[in-house]
Amino acid sequence: MEKLSVEEVKHIAHLARIAVTEEEIEKYRVSLAKLFEMIDQIHLIEGYNDDMMFSPCEEEAILRKDEIGDMLKEDEVLLNAPHKNGKFIEVPVMLNE
Amino acid sequence: MTKYEATIGIEVHVEVKSKSKFFSQAENRYGKSANSSCTVVDLGYPGTLPTVNSEVIQQGIRAAHLLHCSITKKMHFDRKNYFYPDNPKNYQITQNRTPIGTNGYVEIELNSVKKPIYIEEIHLEEDTCKSAHKGRFSLLDFNRAGVPLIEIVSKPCMHTQEEAVLYLEKLRETLFYGDISDCKIEEGSMRCDANVSIAKEGSNHLGTKCEIKNIGSIRNVGIAIQKEIERQTALLEKGETFQEQTRRFDDKLGDTVLMRVKETGNDYRYFPEPDIPFVILTEEQIKKAIETLPMGSDERRKLYLERGIHPKNVEKLLSNRTLSDYLNTYQDSDLDFVIASNLLLGDISSYLNRNFMELNDTKLTKEKFSDLISKISKGELSNQNAKDILEDVLEKELSVDEIMKERNIQNITDSSFVEKLISKVIMENEESVSDYHQGKDRAIKYLMGQVMKEAKGSINPKVANEKLIEMLNRK
Amino acid sequence: MSKYIDLSILEIHALYKEKKLTPTMLLDEVFERIEKEKDLNCFITICKEEAYSDAKRLEQEEVRGLLWGIPIAIKDNIVTKNIRTTCASKMLEHFLPIYDATVIEKIKKEGLLIVGKMNMDEFAMGSTSETSYFGPPKNPWNLSFITGGSSGGSAACVAARITPLALGSDTGGSIRQPASYTGIVGMKPTYGRVSRYGLIAFASSLDQIGPMTRTVYENALLLNVIAGHDEKDLTSSTEPVEDFTAFIGKDVQHLKIGIPSYLVSDVVSDEVRCVFENVVSLLKENGNTVELVDISYLEQAVSLYQVIAMGEASSNLARFDGIRYGYRTDNANSVDELYEKTRSEGFGEEVKRRIMVGSSLLSSSKAKIYYDKALSIRDDMRSSFLQAFEKYDLLIAPTTTTKAYSLGQGLDDPLKSFMDDVLVIPANMAGLPALNLPAGFHEQLPIGIQIIGAPFKEATMYQLASFLEEKLALDLEGGVHHDEI
Repeated sequence: MEKLSVEEVKHIAHLARIAVTEEEIEKYRVSLAKLFEMIDQIHLIEGYNDDMMFSPCEEEAILRKDEIGDMLKEDEVLLNAPHKNGKFIEVPVMLNE
Repeated sequence: MTKYEATIGIEVHVEVKSKSKFFSQAENRYGKSANSSCTVVDLGYPGTLPTVNSEVIQQGIRAAHLLHCSITKKMHFDRKNYFYPDNPKNYQITQNRTPIGTNGYVEIELNSVKKPIYIEEIHLEEDTCKSAHKGRFSLLDFNRAGVPLIEIVSKPCMHTQEEAVLYLEKLRETLFYGDISDCKIEEGSMRCDANVSIAKEGSNHLGTKCEIKNIGSIRNVGIAIQKEIERQTALLEKGETFQEQTRRFDDKLGDTVLMRVKETGNDYRYFPEPDIPFVILTEEQIKKAIETLPMGSDERRKLYLERGIHPKNVEKLLSNRTLSDYLNTYQDSDLDFVIASNLLLGDISSYLNRNFMELNDTKLTKEKFSDLISKISKGELSNQNAKDILEDVLEKELSVDEIMKERNIQNITDSSFVEKLISKVIMENEESVSDYHQGKDRAIKYLMGQVMKEAKGSINPKVANEKLIEMLNRK
Repeated sequence: MSKYIDLSILEIHALYKEKKLTPTMLLDEVFERIEKEKDLNCFITICKEEAYSDAKRLEQEEVRGLLWGIPIAIKDNIVTKNIRTTCASKMLEHFLPIYDATVIEKIKKEGLLIVGKMNMDEFAMGSTSETSYFGPPKNPWNLSFITGGSSGGSAACVAARITPLALGSDTGGSIRQPASYTGIVGMKPTYGRVSRYGLIAFASSLDQIGPMTRTVYENALLLNVIAGHDEKDLTSSTEPVEDFTAFIGKDVQHLKIGIPSYLVSDVVSDEVRCVFENVVSLLKENGNTVELVDISYLEQAVSLYQVIAMGEASSNLARFDGIRYGYRTDNANSVDELYEKTRSEGFGEEVKRRIMVGSSLLSSSKAKIYYDKALSIRDDMRSSFLQAFEKYDLLIAPTTTTKAYSLGQGLDDPLKSFMDDVLVIPANMAGLPALNLPAGFHEQLPIGIQIIGAPFKEATMYQLASFLEEKLALDLEGGVHHDEI
């Protein structure tokens, strides 16, 4: 089994938005590679059909009537938020907007 | 000198009109107090699942129909995964593989030549939440999270800013008159991003694409595209190459500015949304959606021109939906649309503007309006009379007849009244009368002027003119 | 003398009706046992106050259905309004849901008493419950052994007879596998049979809530309560809910039963094979047909499962970002730092690994060759199962490849947790109902077998399970050591 490169681990960690230390990177180079190796067994399968089963649910979606239902009170919206500011939930300033 | 050609593609997002949001039952309304219009679904709470609002699907069908798209009858949704604080689940539910509409177009008219602008696809998705910036922080309001959107992606088939502007105006008018969206750019219910690239004329390759995001008005889209064409052309002429980038339009600068150089392709990790099974559209459902569309802008144009309204006034009417809708309530009557539109666009509009009122704030009933217009058209009320009594008509709960009586306005077709006036003028202007009999054309104009002066504009000139000639010839 | 809590639900119900027993009296016994069995570490949150106040409320009304006043334990990935729901993660250590899951609404309406929230693998990712932020629950049959997972706390609770009922969730065997290791009945219903609204999603197209109980009959009773269409979950089925106890007690002798051959191949240990073969003989002796059947792609089921489960998980768990709820890092100066530190500090190892792998599998360069492909093969696998059900009434297989093993044994191997589930994963992939029934022992540890049904055939599965339960007549009290005599 070939280990993942440091760059690969960093790229994947960033995709998942998970900070990794140098030490962790070394660990993931092996453990993620093991998982990928196992997953690669699906390449042994050939000649499957093209219907994608994204859910075992065979019924079509039942659409909802356009009606307004119960909404949260403002304090409920904020209840679990770690940082709030007045009526708002607060985050570090968003750039790139 | 090398000639360059621009290629422009436009992505438009419009917020869809509905009572509740797309995937939750929170109210879909602009301008509510912060964080007062959301449910656990809109906050992306753990364990919550989306439900699908049937009206949004209907609106999607209507939009696809209006934009001449093929409608996808078996659709699913996809997740677009990206981390951003305004994206509550850190994925957006959208349609990547099965957009509700594909291969459409809208028709624009540039220098009297009609041209289709092609639409790649339109799809349904949810809006993000709104953020405001305050120092080192951003503040999130989730009222907008989950509001239904339609994204309309044009083909990169426009070449000038004029085409782009006309395309957007046409799109806005179409969706607005379809009641799909109120298309208010200033409130964010219509948002435009433009992709611009430049290449040597006749070249098969498209140049490097730059995206201009979230431009605040259609006019500014035009300016932004023009500036971007100039910027890129200048760079190419200098022989410089540049990277794909995202820019924004700065209102004050009147120019585009760099936001960020694009990373090597955003990886949105699309995959089918497992929480929403297939949505299957039946013929019946599609028919019902289309049947419930209000009269569209092009149909209105056709109707008004057929009823004799001047093209200029037709456009004025179309830019005022309330008046157009009002006029349309008389579609099946023989009401004179020319007089009616003149009055609506003229005196009635200025009255409403002056008083910051809407048409239905006044005492004008359907019957009163049609009575008023028919009196003018039959000549029973002169334009001047109509002007004089308009305020009363709009403010008092009296019929037009009652108002005329109250204001002591003669029934101007009352022949004895008109005859009395004319006899007086004929007696006082013997010279002109004989001029008339000697065939001098000018005399009749003079006499008519005297009649109208005497009547202080309160009689119908057409009726008076006929009567004058008749009485002169009696002599 | 045995306690009231050890009586069958029918007996308890009769005593309630005769007013010889009250819900409060029963709760006294439950909380006494919770205290005694602290070492099992099967509870994350004990809801003593709420349970007693619910019991007091019940006592004001007439006795209703069979489950009225029966204590139940809830896996801690099912949200309960005003009772913290942690998913056994630091990320949600202090999370207070502001709504009830649909199954919680249903059991409350029926008058069941929630006594606590149960330990599990973090976000249901694992096969031993050892990935819990709150430490592993212990197997009541031997405290140095694993309970299995991810519904390990629920399994241990029922096995130790603390409560007669528990709810678990099953994404890749998380109800059946710990049920097998602890000697209880665990049902993963047909996908769509039970609403997922309020189940904190691991892999949306695989997750299903199900009952974990002492007996087959009681399992069916609980499924009666939680099953049914829910407008809030578009994937919940409109299939009518029959009485799942309807066929229980009916004779079983002309069933055609298939055994998917890969599920009895050399992946299965001798101890398990022995127990399973005993069941097969029993079935044959009683006039049933039992044959091997080939189901496509079972050899690669785990790999396919990994692609789908981790792919979906990476998206489902993206919402844990420290903004609207849950853990948030103390020192974030930018949005990216907020995400990366919060998630790095808030999630445990197994979860991080799976999210990373899932994110990678869905990325544009890989989605087509992994995710899309897995979904296509999944469709074929389901078709193959459905084809088998044209010939067979039910399928049976072992539930686990071995009996429970000692704590800490598989911790360093990122593949172990998947390999433990090799026999249970196929039912999730195909959306089929599957049930674990205790079927024997090896070295004083229980071993279960699995009954797999065609979609919505739970009642037939219960019929076979109750038949075997009666024939096998196992003593499953070995997990009980309360010393209360």
